[in-house]
Amino acid sequence: MAKAREIRRRIRSVENTRQITRTMEMVATSKLKRATDRVYAARPYAERLAEVIGRLADPELRERYALLRRPEQVKRAAVVVLTANRGLAGAFNANLIREANGLIERLRADGVEVDLHAIGKKGITFFRFRRERLVSERTDISDRPTAEDAASIVDPLIDAFTRGEVDAVYVVYAQFRSALSTPPGVMRILPVEPPADFEAERGAGYILSPSADEILTRLLPLYVRNSVYRALVETAAAEQGARRTAMKNATDNAAEMLDTLRRSYNRARQAQITQEISEIVGGAAALE
Amino acid sequence: MAAERLTVSVISPERVVYEGQADMVVAPAWDGEVGILRGHAPFMVLLGEGDLRVRNGDREERFWVGGGFMQVADDVVTVLSERTRSE
Repeated sequence: MAKAREIRRRIRSVENTRQITRTMEMVATSKLKRATDRVYAARPYAERLAEVIGRLADPELRERYALLRRPEQVKRAAVVVLTANRGLAGAFNANLIREANGLIERLRADGVEVDLHAIGKKGITFFRFRRERLVSERTDISDRPTAEDAASIVDPLIDAFTRGEVDAVYVVYAQFRSALSTPPGVMRILPVEPPADFEAERGAGYILSPSADEILTRLLPLYVRNSVYRALVETAAAEQGARRTAMKNATDNAAEMLDTLRRSYNRARQAQITQEISEIVGGAAALE
Repeated sequence: MAAERLTVSVISPERVVYEGQADMVVAPAWDGEVGILRGHAPFMVLLGEGDLRVRNGDREERFWVGGGFMQVADDVVTVLSERTRSE
């Protein structure tokens, strides 16, 4: 009977899909582990650097450092949008794009020109579809972003900020709170907001070589680069977390669907047998 | 607080490259090498490019650093460098 065969074909197809999503879930789990390690491994550097800058920076002297300077009026801002190169991660990319759109709208409402930089295929595709002009686009950042990747993204922006071509730089990224909680977030990387816990006196009690000014001037770009590096590793880990969750849901759904399909298949098969028996019985009765 | 020995960590943006105890650290400061022994005054210095040596008895760990920063306080030596590798 055609119906039973039809159902059997669907069962096979759902089984194949489940095999694929289950494999992807396992791949994401192992990548997530490594990506999480990288997020944690990045913390000591970030913490120490923030501490030193907090100790050396003085909000009164903001105007002396190119990277701390706050323009009176923000005319042009750069927005760097991080997304994944691949989908199949639930609402991960959609959330990042929504966050970016919100930020862009807010900036434009304030009369700020926005330079868009998209990193990751999903963001690029979206903004192209919306016919937004992308100042730069990159798809070469892997699952394992490096400090050099961060530098290559942010160094041109630091230069543009120093020259006064842009007055602020924002990064839209996925915060990695845990594998299950990866909300999108916005980080303003320029002008630098020095870490809040200032020491009363700059570099008090330290022998400084060369001077506090020169050390700070050299460390601020490192701080900006590190902010972007952290955004990259957190987004990479968040992507794996989101993908694992999405694939786990898909695998569970497939299992549920298989249950229903098997039940319909058995019912169809029984119906067929019953019918055949009654045909035989009917045929035998006709011969008597 | 004078500890027996120095506590040294060498940290890159990606990971902690080295963490351990040492008798002496020789670092490539921006204006020439500096040696750090225990009891050193609090010190912050920019690093240039060169070899960072962490001496421990007669053993010596060597690292290459390409710029960065070193902080010394209370016999704790922290080296932050974007480009560093052990040699």
